[in-house]
Amino acid sequence: MSPVFRAGDEVEVNGTSLRATVLDLLGEGGQGEVYRAILHGEDVALKWYHLAQATPEQRKALERLVRRGPPDKRFLWPRALVSAPRRAPQSFGYVMAIRDDRFASIVDLMKRRVEPSFRALATAGFQLADSFLALHSRGLCYRDISFGNVFFDPRTGDVLVCDNDNVTVDGSRMTGVQGTPRFMAPEIVRGEAAPTSATDLWSLSVLLFYLFMVHHPLEGRRELEIKCLDLPAMTRLYGSQALFLFDPSDPSNRPVPGEQDNPLAYWPLYPDAFRTHFLRSFTDGVRDPAHGRVRESEWRAAMVSLRDAIRTCPSCSAEAFIGAGAPERCWSCRHTFGPALRVRLPGGEVVLESGTQLYRHHLELNGLYDFDGPRAIVQRHPQDPSRLGLKNLGGSSWTATDTSGQVHEVASGRSVSLTPGLVIGFGATTGTVLS
Amino acid sequence: MDSDGKIQELNTAIKEALPHMRKVAEDNPFAKVLVRVARFAAGASWVVDKPTAVEDFRWTDLDADGVTDLGKGLDLVASELRIPPMTDRALPPVLVLVSDGQPTDDWESALGRLMALPWGKKAVRIAIAIGQDADLEVLERFIGNKELKPLRANNPETLVKCIRWASTAVLQSASAPPSQSRTEGAAPAEGNVPIPTPPPEASGPATSTDVW
Repeated sequence: MSPVFRAGDEVEVNGTSLRATVLDLLGEGGQGEVYRAILHGEDVALKWYHLAQATPEQRKALERLVRRGPPDKRFLWPRALVSAPRRAPQSFGYVMAIRDDRFASIVDLMKRRVEPSFRALATAGFQLADSFLALHSRGLCYRDISFGNVFFDPRTGDVLVCDNDNVTVDGSRMTGVQGTPRFMAPEIVRGEAAPTSATDLWSLSVLLFYLFMVHHPLEGRRELEIKCLDLPAMTRLYGSQALFLFDPSDPSNRPVPGEQDNPLAYWPLYPDAFRTHFLRSFTDGVRDPAHGRVRESEWRAAMVSLRDAIRTCPSCSAEAFIGAGAPERCWSCRHTFGPALRVRLPGGEVVLESGTQLYRHHLELNGLYDFDGPRAIVQRHPQDPSRLGLKNLGGSSWTATDTSGQVHEVASGRSVSLTPGLVIGFGATTGTVLS
Repeated sequence: MDSDGKIQELNTAIKEALPHMRKVAEDNPFAKVLVRVARFAAGASWVVDKPTAVEDFRWTDLDADGVTDLGKGLDLVASELRIPPMTDRALPPVLVLVSDGQPTDDWESALGRLMALPWGKKAVRIAIAIGQDADLEVLERFIGNKELKPLRANNPETLVKCIRWASTAVLQSASAPPSQSRTEGAAPAEGNVPIPTPPPEASGPATSTDVW
């Protein structure tokens, strides 16, 4: 369809005397067109609805979203409604911040156009869970978590949640957006439910499975047995006969070697404590949508633990994991791992390698997740690079007790050599160095 | 198609649609999009006979000819929808029939033969009528889904939109269906692929009760 606006056209920003000037068309979808525009000297994105989608309900929903503001800074949230009384009086749109080029889509990951590290993926997983928790905590429901709506920075794992105009009050609407096939919860696929925060949890776990396994959690042998993957077949695969690839009680939908290699390669790399979240999501989570699904706060904790479990292969520098169930040999060069240097803290074990940072949630009991200001960092000894030390970046001293019982004070800005058996008092918590 | 420039309009419309089709295919994580083209005039033949990846696909301009052997065209397509050469596993094929006239051969039994094939039945069938002379009833029979009407392209601009819609939105729906909506009181979608909303200028019957 021909775009509604041409470069230079202006739209009025409702409730203000400001105007945004259209620069160019960025894309179009089922709901409308998205333009780059300039507002008050700043580049913004302008979404303009197709006539059929420019309903009074959509306008009301948008006004509510603009009023409430974003749950956190990772949402590209509608900032203000706009209208074009002369050019297109019957429709409307809204402006939002523009998506930075550093963000990639999950399709880029699937197509191997980006190759993020496990650390970036775990960070992205953490941020996704954290942001959807913020959204759900406000009584809202996203309705359409899928490939197209979530972006991440493959270098850092920073996340951006887009297309927020479908967000509604949880449980308030049966009609409207139902989700994207492959991401919809089985009960929606079967036609038994409308989107809620519980179905968002399903879609989130599918998205996370894609991030870590580069595959869909239900597309195993049963998918290969389907001759034509059309709507009735999709309803069976993702709805009435949904069966997890790695369901421990029913192996009939395992991935098929040669055809579905990604989940076969990735699944064994992770520790049990991480995999168990997917097991629950796609077994209990199918049977009991209301209570069986993994909550965002559980995903958040799992992602932090996974980050902490990353070790670097000393032979080839590939990333691998410590923890029960994780392989003892490097997946890349087959090097057999020795025990990793790590610290046991109340929240779990953290691998200690040059550059490892410890944060507030590591060193305080019930400390909030905070990745902004590290409290400690592992560094090499300036004269002897084979020795690793933990540097105190906080404001108060630690006490370090070595295996002989000798106590050392580690003042702010000083480092202590990391030797097995060392016990460090961080104030509120104590950590034991292990190897 | 006759020689009043309609075939040239079609050549342009397809060349306009190709970059968008490539983009949709490139962003599709689930499917490999293959294209082939058959023409029917006096007899039917493949213009592009090998299934060609859309990124390698080049359109060769068609020229005009006299009669409209739709039946032979359908038989030609049917021959390629058999297993083999089709594999027994695939996403629903999308068949797009573009025509500007009345069929001049026995198209009905050919349609029957096409629909008897498993991949004929499963195919998403779209029809685009160019100009006023196309036989809409024939195109409706080809589509075989009462919810989906033939698209009518009465001018070159609409033809460009129709071809682009069939080659991008429908293609996307057949492989990686996008976000789905439900409106108040609407029945669940029929058929085996959720068909996206066609371009507004091209849908709806042209009757004397049109209001403007």
